[in-house]
Amino acid sequence: MALQLITEKWSGEVSVVTIGAANQEGGTRSHAVKIGGEKSLPYLFKEGSLPNKPQIAFEILDIMPSDWPNAVSAPYGKTLNDPLEWADKCVRDYQAGILCVRLLGSHPDFGNKSPEEEAQLIKKLLKKVSVPLVILGSGDDAKDNLVLPAISEAAKGERCLIGSAVQDNYKTIVASVLADGHNIIAESPIDINIAKQLNILISDMGLALERIVMNPTIGALGYGLEYAYSIMERSRLAALAGDKTMASPFICFVGQEAWRAKEAKADDLPDQGIIWETLTATALIQAGADLLVMRHPKAVEKVKEYIDNLFRS
Amino acid sequence: MNKFKVTFQPNNKTVEVPKDTTVLSAAISCGVSIKSDCGGDGVCGRCKVVVKKGEVLTQPTGMLNDEERKRNIYLACITTIHSDLEVEVLPESRIDPSSRLKGIYSKSEEIESKEAVSSDKVFKHSPLSTKLYLELPPPNLNDTASDLDRLFRAIRKAQDLPVMQTGLSNIRQLGELLRGCEWKVTVTLGKRNDTVEVVLVEPQDTSNKNFGVCFDIGTTTISGQLVDLNSKKILGTKATYNQQASFGSDVITRIIYARQNEGIEKLHSAVTGTMNLMIKELTVEHKVNLNDLTCVVCTGNTTMIHLLLLVDPTYIRREPYVPTANFLPVLRASEAGIIINPRGLLACVPGVSSYVGGDTTAGVLSSGLYNETDLCILIDIGTNGEIALGNKDFLVACAASAGPAFEGSGVSCGMRASNGAIQKVKISPKDFSVTCSTIGEAKPRGICGSGYIDLIAQMLETGVIDRGGKIKLENHKRVRDSESGKEFVLVFKEDSASSKDIVINEADIENLKRAKAAIYSATAVLVKHMNFMLDDVKKIFIAGGFGTSLDIESAIKIGLLPDLVRSKFVFIGNSALAGARQMLLSAEATKLAEEIARKITYFELSVDSGYMDEYMAALFFPHTDLNRFRPRDK
Repeated sequence: MALQLITEKWSGEVSVVTIGAANQEGGTRSHAVKIGGEKSLPYLFKEGSLPNKPQIAFEILDIMPSDWPNAVSAPYGKTLNDPLEWADKCVRDYQAGILCVRLLGSHPDFGNKSPEEEAQLIKKLLKKVSVPLVILGSGDDAKDNLVLPAISEAAKGERCLIGSAVQDNYKTIVASVLADGHNIIAESPIDINIAKQLNILISDMGLALERIVMNPTIGALGYGLEYAYSIMERSRLAALAGDKTMASPFICFVGQEAWRAKEAKADDLPDQGIIWETLTATALIQAGADLLVMRHPKAVEKVKEYIDNLFRS
Repeated sequence: MNKFKVTFQPNNKTVEVPKDTTVLSAAISCGVSIKSDCGGDGVCGRCKVVVKKGEVLTQPTGMLNDEERKRNIYLACITTIHSDLEVEVLPESRIDPSSRLKGIYSKSEEIESKEAVSSDKVFKHSPLSTKLYLELPPPNLNDTASDLDRLFRAIRKAQDLPVMQTGLSNIRQLGELLRGCEWKVTVTLGKRNDTVEVVLVEPQDTSNKNFGVCFDIGTTTISGQLVDLNSKKILGTKATYNQQASFGSDVITRIIYARQNEGIEKLHSAVTGTMNLMIKELTVEHKVNLNDLTCVVCTGNTTMIHLLLLVDPTYIRREPYVPTANFLPVLRASEAGIIINPRGLLACVPGVSSYVGGDTTAGVLSSGLYNETDLCILIDIGTNGEIALGNKDFLVACAASAGPAFEGSGVSCGMRASNGAIQKVKISPKDFSVTCSTIGEAKPRGICGSGYIDLIAQMLETGVIDRGGKIKLENHKRVRDSESGKEFVLVFKEDSASSKDIVINEADIENLKRAKAAIYSATAVLVKHMNFMLDDVKKIFIAGGFGTSLDIESAIKIGLLPDLVRSKFVFIGNSALAGARQMLLSAEATKLAEEIARKITYFELSVDSGYMDEYMAALFFPHTDLNRFRPRDK
């Protein structure tokens, strides 16, 4: 008798979030990127469809990064000084389909750039490159509440993904995103309850659940990866079981975490960081990550290959 | 040693104390009640006094602002006496003695007597102590039985009784007494577990005067009831604050306090002092002679009973959390310091474990939960919330430490449910104007538990706060920043009795959110642990001090109680006191209480892996899992 595979039937599905608006949708992007839409646990194609491949966004900063190890800053060379050139290099040389800009320079401790300066930068960036954008504040709540509305306004109609909304500071950001037609990143501290509560609070303000991407907060390989993995798995199980408030796709800041690892900073083993970033990314893809923000072009290449292999079967 | 005189206003009481005594200790020693939730650690900021005259030394504190310092306001617990003093206790720091005996608690008793019917079981009338009038045949040469044998013989002739005993002091006076009253005597027979004691021998017939008192000793409130043991009639009910509250607002701080020098003695005399005062008032009001008060039944959580009996409660809070005694033999009330007839008896309702005490047993008894066919749950909302689940086949109970927020403690404008406490709130969705009703229709002084539940429900409904408990209303005269996050003004100072704004801030909401999460998640985990669904529960008995004014819709809206069909909820008021009264009046009920206490399985929440998850998920209004609180037909 042939072996009968037992398949799980799921009643829910992950919502699809579209990042970027092309001409016909009122924006200026060359294409839009869709993430989410899974109807099964990661890559159990027999149980349900997985219509969208995980996407990788290259991370760029508005200032010269001060804590990037040599191994990861080397490929970008002098472009690190100029966010526009840096962005252009990612798209031109590494075929980046989406970019993630972190406005660290607006942080009071890292240059304290004004909201106007940052808005100008975003406008220029939108002209320079045509890929969809993920835009992050500096993480300073008070300053983000000034900067993010300004850049949201500056990028109006481009359907960016803007973040991050956190439990204690979400109202201003959500209101801007809502007004200017963007999507939002809801960030929770590796806590499934807070993740869900934040999604409810944001949707209570009138932003559709289909415009939220969850940042569950992750740890790199050896630095709490399995903790993040289990939180993501639990969230995804809830989504597939029909909980709409947990059905947002995940964004994972892989590069940021992987390149903080002691192993990645080892100067005598320059490839170790690439391996660290690759392994962290592939593990999180198996946990259900939909959008990965990464740093090293080689790591990105490897992970893309891995994704293609997953979908080849 | 230097001694100084301290006079407290407005009570106008004076006491002489040694130098370096704290103002709070001096106040306690002369019976002036000052609020103190932290037990004198200087952290709650409740014990504010004005030093009118004299010298004091104080420690730095962040609980006073500059204006208060200018007005010579000090915290009584960290301020020591260095000369003769005149001290005024600030209105908000007073524990109002007039509200002690009336107010909401007497109202809750009305409910209770109605709800006592919820259990239709009527126990056989056989009080803890009974009186029996006897006319003994005088001895003669043919009948030379001793006086004591003669007495026992006569008692056995009247009633079929097991082993009998009596005390030496009775025997010493027996010869004279019997002959002095021509062998006509009344004996008081007390049930001391399986034996019967001749508690008292009195000349002549006093059998129509036999009274008892029952008490529910709560962490925050003590309720007492005077009962005519012959007619079963309740003569009077009183409630007052547990004076132990000056040493800490929850059982854990009191257990810690008990370890301090003479701590346990102070706690013991605080509780017995309160009880004796209530007994005195009850007997005077109802013209009962203290000597005709022959027995007392007490219930309360395990810690309260330990402190009542001056038993060290230390091991209750140390792993593996074992109390010294759950089942206590019937004792003499005077041994515990309770003033009734000097030979009168004291029985305590048996407890289950360190954190599920005799109050739960009494609640299960009086609610009739033990006798139900369907699955029922008893939720006793208090500082130490207890939840019992079961029916006639099984009983399981757990305790959830909710903290004192629902009793108005640990929140900025909280107060206990007494005169002037806001108990109902209505917020207009248009202009956010606030309408409140207070207990006794008095000028508002603060907010009590049921008021907070209503308030949060209203703030949620009108969008003043979001579901995480943060104030989201902006640019409104009622909303402003404070040291504890934003605050919302309920009553402006012009209209409040404390001449201060009555507010709720984000820290208060957080506190209340934790308290409601503790009660709800304990209920949910207990039900789940027994492999039931909340919907399987057919009846929910709600007990507690604010059972009368608790708005069920509001309680569900904030996620304190599970969202079940409203007709399933039954208010039973002070179920513990009702159970204690049943034990006072019936040996059958006593026996049953013992059975119940043995039958209840204690479920320790802290060892359940799901409890923390449940608790975290409940830290949202009404709950992170919105499916549990769906709008539905009522």
